[in-house]
Amino acid sequence: MEDQKILDLVKELVHRLQSQNLQKPPSKNPDSINPNQALRYAIRILSSRLTPSIVADEASMAESIKRQLATQGKSSQALAFADLYSKFASKTGTGSVNNKWAVLYLLKVISEDRNITKKQSISRVSNSVFVNSAVSGGLPALFDGELSENLKSLCNREMPGKGWSGGVLLVSKDPENIRDKAFREFANLVKEENDVSEETLVRDLLYSARGIDGSKVKFDENVDGYVLPNSIKVPRATRVMVQKLSELGWLFKKVYGYVSDSKAEDVGTVGQAFCASLQEELTEYHKLLAVLDAQAMNPIPLVSDSASSWDYLSLRRLSVWFTEPMVKMRLMAVLVDSCKVLKGGAMAGAIHMHAQHGDPLVHEFMSRLLRRVCSPLFEMVRSWVLEGELEDRYAEFFVVGQPVKAESLWSEGYRLDARMLPSFISPSLASRILRTGKSINFLRVCCEDRGWADAAMEAAAASGTTTGKGGLGYGESDELELLVVEAAKRIDKHLMKVMYNRYKFKEHCLAIKRYLLLGQGDFVQYLMDKVGPELSEPANTISTFKLAGLLETAVQSSNAQYDDHDILDRLRVKMMPHNTGDRGWDMFSLEYEARVPLNTVFTESVMERYLRIFNFLWKLRRVEHALIRAWKTMKPNCITSHSFIKLQQTVKMQLLSTLRRCQVLWDEMNHFISNLQYYIMFEVLEVSWSNFSNEMEVAKDLDDLLSAHEKYLHSIVEKSLLGERSQSLYETLFILFDHILRFRSLADRLYEGIHELQMRSINSQKQRGESLEPGSWVTDGKKALTQQASKFLSHMGKELDDIGKKYSSLLKGFISQLPVQQHIDLKFLLFRLDFTEFYTRPRAVL
Amino acid sequence: MDSEAARTARESLELAFHMSNILETGLDRQTLSVLIALCDLGFNPEALAAVVKELRMEHSSSSSSSSLTASSLSIP
Repeated sequence: MEDQKILDLVKELVHRLQSQNLQKPPSKNPDSINPNQALRYAIRILSSRLTPSIVADEASMAESIKRQLATQGKSSQALAFADLYSKFASKTGTGSVNNKWAVLYLLKVISEDRNITKKQSISRVSNSVFVNSAVSGGLPALFDGELSENLKSLCNREMPGKGWSGGVLLVSKDPENIRDKAFREFANLVKEENDVSEETLVRDLLYSARGIDGSKVKFDENVDGYVLPNSIKVPRATRVMVQKLSELGWLFKKVYGYVSDSKAEDVGTVGQAFCASLQEELTEYHKLLAVLDAQAMNPIPLVSDSASSWDYLSLRRLSVWFTEPMVKMRLMAVLVDSCKVLKGGAMAGAIHMHAQHGDPLVHEFMSRLLRRVCSPLFEMVRSWVLEGELEDRYAEFFVVGQPVKAESLWSEGYRLDARMLPSFISPSLASRILRTGKSINFLRVCCEDRGWADAAMEAAAASGTTTGKGGLGYGESDELELLVVEAAKRIDKHLMKVMYNRYKFKEHCLAIKRYLLLGQGDFVQYLMDKVGPELSEPANTISTFKLAGLLETAVQSSNAQYDDHDILDRLRVKMMPHNTGDRGWDMFSLEYEARVPLNTVFTESVMERYLRIFNFLWKLRRVEHALIRAWKTMKPNCITSHSFIKLQQTVKMQLLSTLRRCQVLWDEMNHFISNLQYYIMFEVLEVSWSNFSNEMEVAKDLDDLLSAHEKYLHSIVEKSLLGERSQSLYETLFILFDHILRFRSLADRLYEGIHELQMRSINSQKQRGESLEPGSWVTDGKKALTQQASKFLSHMGKELDDIGKKYSSLLKGFISQLPVQQHIDLKFLLFRLDFTEFYTRPRAVL
Repeated sequence: MDSEAARTARESLELAFHMSNILETGLDRQTLSVLIALCDLGFNPEALAAVVKELRMEHSSSSSSSSLTASSLSIP
């Protein structure tokens, strides 16, 4: 049914078209137009293209036709067409054309085809040959001949006239345009709903973005933000959007308030840099606002006339424009908040913490900001490391200096302020920075050296930074580290050179070891000999000048006289404060004067420790000396042994046993003292010194040197029982020393007594020899002498026994304490003292 | 109702015809009505236009076939 209808319609079409053709002058070969073939051809064309090649859109098709007419210069026709089309389109319902688009498209294509045909008509060669062949031969006959007959008869009919000559032209624009009407209604509706126009709101928001109250949007102190008063009627969506957009104004107010309020004295250079870069960002922001202002002048068009201007500003467009500034402003506000109370390095550190952000926009923004903010800080680092200058008027730098005396400049003059240390500078780097600047200052103040400037120049050249301003920036931590390392290396090297060569640090250390630690044996011996008698006097009768003179003599008579005069000049006698009843021994000590810059190493506390060591060693020496002096008197020789022969047998035996006891006790004491001495001298002092010398060789900077020296001193103190942990041991040792000294005086007395006895017996012999007659009184005298001698000897023997007992019990206690000491070297002392297990075994047996 | 439909149809055709004239398609009313009917039946307008074009060509070829032999040599 449908097919039949279509076929009929196609037939009709072909017929009409052909009849149109035929109204022209009849062709010479009418056979060539075979209606039947034409129909077949038409059907073939129709069936070949079932779907159109463009999307069906009625309005746009009409628009395109209109434009085409307009471009052809037929504006009146275009107008008329638009009019016709609007009417055509308004026809709906039954009887109207359903597929209006198709009709329009059809018309358009036909029109185009015709135009082309017309244009080409002169030069055109008919392709009828092709068409004929296609129609006659190419197409198989599908329909009967009767169809062609039918068509042929129609072809002969005359057509009344041309179809396209007519047409109505409507000039006026339709006032009843529905679209326009609808839009107008919409506009009215919008006006009714809003008390304020969108333009006003946009303008107000632009004002508020500068921190200024607009006509409607005003800053509310209570809410702390810009608000649109509730009295103004706007749709909820608009209100929310205004609220959102006015946040920018609030943020701006905060940032701008900080920038304009902060004074140079309060915020320091870093804060100033921060403000300057914020100001720069705000300038950019103002530029954007100016552009937006210009756009806000254009009226907001309704949906209908979108073509009039595109660069207007609606709330929605504003929200798009504000997105990026909002992010930045928010960031700045956060920074302002977190940095308000901070300054200097702490501020840079806080900003740095915020820069750790994944968003590239934020990251880029923050690093730009940080580069500005950190530049004063890096400048400080540079001038500190290369020039030792502390240009820190506002206390922003992480190195803090304080005025101190020259000797404590190194230890106390400068320190790190952890609060001002930004997190992008590691603590190790910071301490290195601190030390480098400190070294420069040390060289300048204490060593009065100018050579460091060359070293600093070298360092700057090596690290590729000029000594001029502004070489480093944020994010170039490698360069910073390189600069610091290079500078530190060179400055430290220079400092060590100055210390070793110009101030002869090593020589002084050695001198201290030789004189204060009694390393120079002959000197100590002479000194002991010279000042010994003097020191036995009560402390208050001794004159320092005399002792100084004796010291001079001791130096002159020993090998020390060949030492450097500078060193010998520094050696002084020091009298310690003394109590009544003290002997000279208790207060005598030597002192070594360490001048600037050496007193940085040999500080007062260090010298105090040296003094303690000296006192200990001096006492040890004194005891040793006393023992040797005792030996001088008591060593057995033929003279003494010979003289005893004359004595009575019992007294002789008594004398010999006392002497023997005395010898044994002396030997025991000597064993102890000489081993202790050996231990102190060779296992404590020399070993520590050797370690110290090695460490001195490899020390790269003053800190290394200080710590090496500290270690040296500490090891001596610990090993020589001077440490706090071996306090009791030390006390025992001193009591032992006292006993030995007592023994010495006892031994002196003993030998004096013996000597007296001897003298008297010799005298009596002489007298006997002179008179050559055995006088009774002589024998009496001899008897009395023998009595006196035995009494004296028994008394001495008792005292010796007493000392010996006390001594051995103390020594046992001392030895038993040795193994529980912390220091491993003290165990060697035990091993040395008790090599044969003489002291430990009997106790084990007991 | 029917009469109204007919009137609408007529008016539509009239409007289409006017448009067709403005566009100088050279179609008469009857042909146009047939074409509109075919369009409504869902035929591809491009195809229809092609049919119109081709069959017209036939006409022009027939009208100019006399000069065929003379001008065939001057094909560009």
